[in-house]
Amino acid sequence: MENIKNILNKFDMEYVEDYKPTWVKAKLKNKEDILNVVKALKKEGVKTCSTISPTDFIDENKIEVNYFLEDLFNKRNVWLKVDIPRELENCEIDSITPLMPSADWHELEAYSTFGVKFKGHPNLRYFLISRDYYGKFPFRKDFDWKEHEKNLMQNIAEITEEYFDEYEEYEENVGHDGSRTVLNWGPTHPASGPIRLKVYTNGENVEKIDPDIGYVWRALEHLAERKDFIGTIVAVERICFMDNPNPMICYSQAVEEIAGKEITEFAKYMRVILGETGRIASHLISLGGFFGTMGLQTFSMWCLDIREYFLDVLEDYSGARIATACIEPGGVRYPLNDYKAWFESINKAIKKFEDTKDDITDIFMKNPLMNTRAKGNGVFTLDDVAKYYLAGPIARASGAKIDVRIDEPYAAYDKLEMDYVTCENGDARDRLYIIFKELQQAMDLIKQAMAKIEEGISEGEMDPKKDHLIKMPKRMPAGEAVARVEWARGEMLMHLVTQEKATSPYRLKLKAPSVNHTMVLDKLLKGKTLSDIPLLYGSMHICQGDLDR
Amino acid sequence: MLKVLDFFNYARSKSPWIVHFCSGCCSLEMLAAMGPRYDWERYGYIMTPTPRQADIMFITGLVSKKILPALLRTYEQMPEPRYVMAIGACAYDGGPYNDSASVIKNMTEILPADVFVAGCPPRPEAIIAGLEELKEKIKRGEPSASSQGGLWKQMKF
Repeated sequence: MENIKNILNKFDMEYVEDYKPTWVKAKLKNKEDILNVVKALKKEGVKTCSTISPTDFIDENKIEVNYFLEDLFNKRNVWLKVDIPRELENCEIDSITPLMPSADWHELEAYSTFGVKFKGHPNLRYFLISRDYYGKFPFRKDFDWKEHEKNLMQNIAEITEEYFDEYEEYEENVGHDGSRTVLNWGPTHPASGPIRLKVYTNGENVEKIDPDIGYVWRALEHLAERKDFIGTIVAVERICFMDNPNPMICYSQAVEEIAGKEITEFAKYMRVILGETGRIASHLISLGGFFGTMGLQTFSMWCLDIREYFLDVLEDYSGARIATACIEPGGVRYPLNDYKAWFESINKAIKKFEDTKDDITDIFMKNPLMNTRAKGNGVFTLDDVAKYYLAGPIARASGAKIDVRIDEPYAAYDKLEMDYVTCENGDARDRLYIIFKELQQAMDLIKQAMAKIEEGISEGEMDPKKDHLIKMPKRMPAGEAVARVEWARGEMLMHLVTQEKATSPYRLKLKAPSVNHTMVLDKLLKGKTLSDIPLLYGSMHICQGDLDR
Repeated sequence: MLKVLDFFNYARSKSPWIVHFCSGCCSLEMLAAMGPRYDWERYGYIMTPTPRQADIMFITGLVSKKILPALLRTYEQMPEPRYVMAIGACAYDGGPYNDSASVIKNMTEILPADVFVAGCPPRPEAIIAGLEELKEKIKRGEPSASSQGGLWKQMKF
């Protein structure tokens, strides 16, 4: 930590201060220094860019760009800020993509939504947003989206026009001779959600993959600015329905930090139970999906069967199967009136999994066909993890000891016994195994948290009927916060900015791991054959909901 | 002759195939309806990856502007008679994304649906109940709502 601070202090800084145990927060005075700072930090070991989040301060006529840089293996993170002018002509800064490839798509996103030009980016283009927003920079505060929405049909026609242009372009560039062609994998491929991979092939061999994203772009960051602090939960939980509770935990933590409130012990353990249940529900889909993309549907059905029991747990608590809205700033939404009955349904779900576990191991994890196809296929090394910021299970499959639950404990994870779950090889098979291992870890954590709650209740320290929620202020003070959670697919980071006496967020940046996991598909699939696409794509556990947001 | 056509409709209603098209998060509950607990194959429903063999199209929740041309193109490729079922609040008026800058709010105006299943997301039971309702419509041989109108007929895709 001291090394990083020393490095930062060598530059012209407005301030350098500690933020949380694992972060250094600093503000750079001149935007010209950014490349040198990043270069120096990279030498020190901060090799990864988590995300880039611009905030539009229209009253002060500036855009503040936040860089979240991480040293994944030594748990040292830097939150670097720099102001740039707001006028479109001067709104530019040097690109850090040549130094940190993990920043690539995050810079494109910042450019498309805020108009921050990144000088020196290898391929600066409009990205994620649909064609009708090209050049309009929809997340800027002065963008009038209601006016824009009035011409809906014309906007759709523009988007359609883009597709037609593309067909013609392919006709001209690829031609009809030879065996080269461009295949569209998607946007409605049954093995994936709405994403389109433009696959440049020569016969069966994949030469290049160009993912086209934005098919489920809902502009959630923009949407959150128009909702109040409780209503934002609706936007946040819809990042991805597979693991529903964890994004809400992340958002609630950011709000609590700004409000300066500490939640009760009971609520912390409840967050562990709900969060892990969400993780299990998501992992079971990933697990089944992996075999589903290889053409074996039986296992998907097994997993869906087990998943139903965990959805019952969520339903018993919140009344909804997947859109639970069960966590809000201040704790968890509902009291536990009959905690024994709820624990009973959790135990039933865990038993259902444990009864099936041996069969899963024998039939699927040792499956010879799966082993032949997935073993040694699509390997990521530890260097790749740092270079492209692969997060969560994908990183741990390569042996990286990264887990936000341990590195920066939140909820009650610091009071539970857990260790990094890792595999060694980093191939597609390990990315399947790691999911199976994490399922067992999640169930162990749930058991521990249930025991702690039972203990607390019997000793009279917790009251499940009253302790679930503390009172939160309706209006927030001015401030900003960064919260991270270990989501089912990796690190989720939220950057929340509020203004004095605000009733709704001023800016909420959502960083989700699938962005980076989709970014590396080109590297992963280059030189492979067409039949590897579903297998390796399935092994990355990508969800389009959090890819597009 | 009339009797033969009636029989066609009867047969068609007994095993409607659904085109596998996900545009939003409600497809997760569709997945659950496919799964072992709800198992819609009991009623004869099955997913097909190609629109050429499908009878029903789902609008699964939100439709963003970018996927709309693909959705309409898929719909156009289905053989007649083709029916549309809209599930989830988003398919009706944008639902929780009603304020969103990139989600289409008047989806049922563009592509009118024969059955709408409410909920965010609707439960698998509700989806199956909606399909059963659609089955009755197919059996009666009624023309589908989208064949009679909708903005999609004037659109290019």
